[in-house]
Amino acid sequence: METLNRIVTSSIGRKLVVALMGLLLCGFLVGHLGGNLFLFVGKDAFNAYAHHLETFPLLVPVELGLAGVALVHILVTLYLQLTSLAARPERYAVTQSKGGRTWGSSTMIYTAAAVLLFIVVHVATLKYGARPSPEDLHGLVMRYFSSWGWVAFYAGCMACLGLHLSHGFWSAFQTFGVDHPKYTPVIKGLGTAFAVAVSLAFASIPVWARIAMGGSQ
Amino acid sequence: MTMRLDAKIPDGPIHEKWDKARFDLKLINPANKRKFEVIVVGTGLAGGSAAAALAELGYNVKVFCIQDSPRRAHSIAAQGGINAAKNYPNDGDSVRRLFYDTIKGGDFRAREANVYRLAQVSNAIIDHCVAQGVPFARDYGGTLDNRSFGGAQVSRTFYARGQTGQQLLLGAYASLMRQVGQGRVKVFPRREMMELVIVDGAARGVVVRDLVTGKIESHAGHAVLLATGGYGNTFFLSTNANSCNVGAAWTAYKKGAAFANPCFTQIHPTCIPVSGEHQSKLTLMSESLRNDGRVWVPRKAGDKRSPDRIPEEDRDYYLERIYPSFGNLVPRDVASRAAKRMIDEGKGVGKTGLAVYLDFADSIQRQGEPVIKEKYGNLFDMYHHLTDENPYRVPMRIYPAVHYAMGGLWVDYNLMTTIPGLFCLGEANFSDHGGNRLGASALMQGLGDGYFIIPYTLGGYLGSQKLAKVDPGHPAFAPAEAGARSRVARLLSIKGKRTPASFHKELGKVMWDKCGMSRNAKGLGEALERIPQIREEFWKNVSVTGSGDLFNQTLERAHRVADYLEFAELLVRDALERKESCGGHFREESQTPDNEAKRDDANFCHVAAWEHAGEGKTPVRHVEPLKFENVHLAQRNYA
Amino acid sequence: MKVTLKVWRQKGPDQPGRFEAYDAEVPSTDMSFLELMDTVNEGLIAKGSDAIAFDHDCREGICGMCSQVIDGQPHGPDQGAATCQLHMRKFKDGDVVTVEPFRAKAFPVIKDLVVDRSALDRVVSCGGFISINTGAAVDGNAVPVPKVDAEAAMDAAACIGCGACVAACPNAAAMLFVGAKVSHLALLPQGGPERARRVLGMRQAMDAEGFGHCTNEAECEAVCPKEIKVSNIARLNREFIKALVCSKE
Repeated sequence: METLNRIVTSSIGRKLVVALMGLLLCGFLVGHLGGNLFLFVGKDAFNAYAHHLETFPLLVPVELGLAGVALVHILVTLYLQLTSLAARPERYAVTQSKGGRTWGSSTMIYTAAAVLLFIVVHVATLKYGARPSPEDLHGLVMRYFSSWGWVAFYAGCMACLGLHLSHGFWSAFQTFGVDHPKYTPVIKGLGTAFAVAVSLAFASIPVWARIAMGGSQ
Repeated sequence: MTMRLDAKIPDGPIHEKWDKARFDLKLINPANKRKFEVIVVGTGLAGGSAAAALAELGYNVKVFCIQDSPRRAHSIAAQGGINAAKNYPNDGDSVRRLFYDTIKGGDFRAREANVYRLAQVSNAIIDHCVAQGVPFARDYGGTLDNRSFGGAQVSRTFYARGQTGQQLLLGAYASLMRQVGQGRVKVFPRREMMELVIVDGAARGVVVRDLVTGKIESHAGHAVLLATGGYGNTFFLSTNANSCNVGAAWTAYKKGAAFANPCFTQIHPTCIPVSGEHQSKLTLMSESLRNDGRVWVPRKAGDKRSPDRIPEEDRDYYLERIYPSFGNLVPRDVASRAAKRMIDEGKGVGKTGLAVYLDFADSIQRQGEPVIKEKYGNLFDMYHHLTDENPYRVPMRIYPAVHYAMGGLWVDYNLMTTIPGLFCLGEANFSDHGGNRLGASALMQGLGDGYFIIPYTLGGYLGSQKLAKVDPGHPAFAPAEAGARSRVARLLSIKGKRTPASFHKELGKVMWDKCGMSRNAKGLGEALERIPQIREEFWKNVSVTGSGDLFNQTLERAHRVADYLEFAELLVRDALERKESCGGHFREESQTPDNEAKRDDANFCHVAAWEHAGEGKTPVRHVEPLKFENVHLAQRNYA
Repeated sequence: MKVTLKVWRQKGPDQPGRFEAYDAEVPSTDMSFLELMDTVNEGLIAKGSDAIAFDHDCREGICGMCSQVIDGQPHGPDQGAATCQLHMRKFKDGDVVTVEPFRAKAFPVIKDLVVDRSALDRVVSCGGFISINTGAAVDGNAVPVPKVDAEAAMDAAACIGCGACVAACPNAAAMLFVGAKVSHLALLPQGGPERARRVLGMRQAMDAEGFGHCTNEAECEAVCPKEIKVSNIARLNREFIKALVCSKE
């Protein structure tokens, strides 16, 4: 109990929670991406995969769990952000980085907002959107990406996700105290590679859908 | 006069004196220690370690420091190392040799018994600091590493890169903060001691000014420990931090504490030269650099070629030439004077001609840059930041600067001043370094005093006294507070035309010119005339802006300069009276044919302790004869 | 050359502050930035005005007393240097230099550029030490310490406690300061017995003082005058996790 108390009441403990949730979400990204890539295999494969997933008996608990993870990640961060504002009540007139901050690290809260917006839109449109037929998620996706506007929105949001991951991935390891002169550069490299790969791979789907398929079947 | 200087040196053979003293000193029952309140002023190595050690024993300690945190005392800037007689390198060191080297390095003007005790406790200091987590340099086998330092032919200096003082101070600070956490020490930062309070002849409290609010506060205790460092800033330009000052010691002097050997000031040979009129302080480059750096000047006066253009045969490695057996590792006073002689002969280098080279080219070639970097990296970086020159490529330019005060409040063997209950530790006292301090000895003395000597001697004092209960409501505090207030008010009321710093600069120039690296009766006489004039103008024409009840650094500065303007006179007077050359005190009238310092043991083998005779009166010079029973009094020879 | 200093002036802790501009002649680029502040102050005092209050002491980059945020960077533009080691050669003729105090809730302004950093002392008093009473130590060579560990401990112990890490951190966190101390003592065998207690105590004090949390942006490392690395923050996190999992306290 004391341990739990120490986690939830301390700045480091809260960051640990954020980092853990972040890494779980990274895991989800990999899984989700793996599924999405069935699109490249073909309509039937993708729809089969979707069917398989949607009839998975534990889907709802997993989804709820996932939502919970995301929610904890967001809420704890927001709380920490508030403490951060309180920790510096008077702001500087001039601030200038001396080289520590990166694009990714200094925009975490903004990229997070973009990704959150994306999730809401994404779930609303592709999970609950009207499909050509109940079993044809593929059709819905293709119809959806016939619009360049949506493609741009998706790609833009994935760029934000990439930026978020470019800092978040390594940052989570740092928060867990995983650091070693030999391995930290590897982790940082992996973080960058992961960020680039995941965001490009996700973004490639709408782009591919729009270009290769002309946005329709 | 009435002052009696009883050094209270225990009887018996020198190696048994401290043991005997510890046995004879009264003890205080552990449960009774918490009934005592001890006031410690200053949180450097001496004050910080004393406060921590006393609190560990159970005393209640109040600690005052001038900076915003005890961790910032100027001990932090000591670079090179700390001596101890561990003999880990198996190169012939012993307690007796450390004792001998320190006595000889001090040019036979320190007390034998004190120095022997210092050498005896030196090993325990290292053990304690290691246990505190001081990250001393180590060898690959995990054992402690040593390096050599000036004035010794053994390697007995323990070091933590070029930040030894910092690491030792942070060790003492950590121990102090542990006691703060346990509630036995209360720290009062940003306080300046204004007055010493004496009740029934014993020191019982201090009046301090809260530098943030301007509030004058009284604090009472059973004893007062001053560990307030040296008075080098009297010279304006020195290696001391800006806040180092003589104020606390000077207040004590005016209340009856004798001031000993103020003329013994150390001019450190390896400092970064002055670059211009704007200069606010001088920066030391650790003496340890002389382990691997070679000091040289061009052989011909007026050779203005850049150092890389001066071939080997046109260089004069004068320390190696004049002192072949110690070479670049001669003691500081010797190295400083040799540099001065070279510069006086017109061989000075750099834009101003007021510098000599300290060259690492040979060592870098022999040991490789990484090794030099590991040993001195932070010092090289510091030099680079300051001068914009890369010392890995071009030789450093160095020049002597005022560094350390060997003189200080007179204390007996128990570190007590001539005022009962007023103790003085570390650089602020006079006892262990004689006329010249050897490198890496200051840290040893500060910590020795604080960790291993005062815990015994203070107990001995408190255990043998019947001290009445005194609190800040005692009538002795009101006049002291009033004195402090009136001083502040007076400084603020002058509203003259000149800044406090301008007076400080003017005084410093007189001191450096007339009472610096070499002194003579004529110059000292001139200084004695000039200083009162500057002082008089100060009290008529200083401008102190801002208010007395707010944070006011101009006021702080003015207050300290006012003290320097009085103290400087005592320093010069002491230099004038000591008509011999000795350690850092070089009287031109007393030198050997080859310009080395010549002591006069027949007339000056003593400590001069000055007693305040009242405002405007000439102070009284008392003498504590020095007896050398364990070392042979000899003219120093480092050749 | 000439520069203009735009300096934050604030009479006292709860007073409003504002910037004031001072034109300053720079006689030599060898002059340090603080020496320039000195000359500005000399001018102010001579005119009968209140001098700019700023903390400084050793002026050789080791005491940690000097602070100031210069053009948005704690300790100014020089790498691995404290404000007192910053020289005017880093500036150009005509530069307008903005000078502000370190800003954090835990570092309230006392006057002008002077802030109260005693929060750092209080954090140290909650565990930043090894509990050893004077006299109780074993021989210095009794416990060998691998050279790499001693060197790494020294790297961390080099912290001068200036608080620039807090000033530069977007969240005003003190993680580098605490991380450096926890690392220094965790890397040495002497620090072993108190590891868990230390990290738990210092962490608690750090949060209680109102410092923010760490977002691993490493701005602290970039401004640290002693170039202390954020790997010390990782070690702090590691020590904290170890204490959470293993501590019996």
